[in-house]
Amino acid sequence: MQWSSSEQQGCVIASPDGRVDEATAEAFTEHLAASVTMAADSPGKKLIVDFAGLDYMSSRGLRALTLAKRQADAAGVAMALARPNEVMREILAISRYDKLFPVSDSIEAAI
Amino acid sequence: MLVRFWGTRGSLPVAATASIVQDKVAHALLAASGRSFADIEEARSFARSELDFAVSGTFGGATTCVEIEAGDPANGDAFILCDMGSGLRGFGLDAMRRCAAGHARVYHFFMSHLHWDHIMGFPFFVPAFDPNAHIVIHSGHEDAEEALRRQQEEISFPVKFDWLRAKIEFRTLKVGETYQIGAVQVELMEQHHSHSSFGYRFTDAEGKVAVFSTDSEHKLDRMEGEADVEQFFRAADLVICDTMYSLADSVSMKEDWGHSSNIVAIDLCHGARAKRLALFHHEPVYSDADIARMHAESVRYEELTREHDPLEVLCAYDGLEVSL
Repeated sequence: MQWSSSEQQGCVIASPDGRVDEATAEAFTEHLAASVTMAADSPGKKLIVDFAGLDYMSSRGLRALTLAKRQADAAGVAMALARPNEVMREILAISRYDKLFPVSDSIEAAI
Repeated sequence: MLVRFWGTRGSLPVAATASIVQDKVAHALLAASGRSFADIEEARSFARSELDFAVSGTFGGATTCVEIEAGDPANGDAFILCDMGSGLRGFGLDAMRRCAAGHARVYHFFMSHLHWDHIMGFPFFVPAFDPNAHIVIHSGHEDAEEALRRQQEEISFPVKFDWLRAKIEFRTLKVGETYQIGAVQVELMEQHHSHSSFGYRFTDAEGKVAVFSTDSEHKLDRMEGEADVEQFFRAADLVICDTMYSLADSVSMKEDWGHSSNIVAIDLCHGARAKRLALFHHEPVYSDADIARMHAESVRYEELTREHDPLEVLCAYDGLEVSL
């Protein structure tokens, strides 16, 4: 799994690439945790997970998002998801994760 | 092996109200759109083949009871049942009919756990009053007898457990052992649920496998343990799985309520390379349309995340029979 991070208007933008399944879920979880820590030190105290490079995600990835959200809530960091592809948008709807996280079509809208 | 669902609802029995039935009739009339039918059979055929199941039928409202028919019942093989929810009443009446036709009066029960919705059918289980019946209640719990006796104390029910006329035995099973019971080999797995629950893996002489895994929460902080669950489900012909909540509900408002989601069930069955999944233990507040929608979404999620052979996703309903 490829992972990159950047900062935009004081918010941390975390950009995973590929797919999140059983084989990559652990790396995804660790990257998310590090990104929350990074966002806690950022001026905007916000983490935006950019889904543009993600093909799809199984429940392991979705549940990793929940663990990251708990860490974020405890650190006063807001979390949002941005730019899911059509498959990911469907998975977020079927799992009802679109009720747990704000989901935006662009990074700008997520900020 | 034949799996017959007598009760598929979670937590509490539910029944359709007059307004629910009227709504189904109204939708059926709209779908018929002015057509006429020569007789009731033609109308039934239309209902079966052209209406959505949520309109023409119902997923039902009886709580957990599943029959595993294995071996050769015509030649003396015993009944095999999972749990004693309110669906057990219907099974009991049907079993009396089958016993009158020569079926052995031996009943092996396998208890997931002892919560009320999983034992409430036993006081209404007619074969328990049959002096020629032999009932063996297998459980991973050591307190199964206490639970069944307690619900028939006078404060809760007018017929005491000791008044039942069948020969009733209790056997505690151990995780890690393989038992030959009736026409099946049985293994069990401990699951996360209040007061614990147990899943069962049944294998018949032909190698067909059915797994019964209800009232099982797959915890966020124990995801590494899911490899053991996949191993228990491995290559099963049918996995009956607790899919009571959405994934979002199961990790938020309803965390620690002891249940799982359609999403996790599909991922576990994919990992196990199981052939079929039956969505089970339906949320009692769900309408038939809600359950049908959850089924359609589950089928779609399976398609989106499939990496190997397709997993057939069924939605259990009271009366469903699945031949393996």
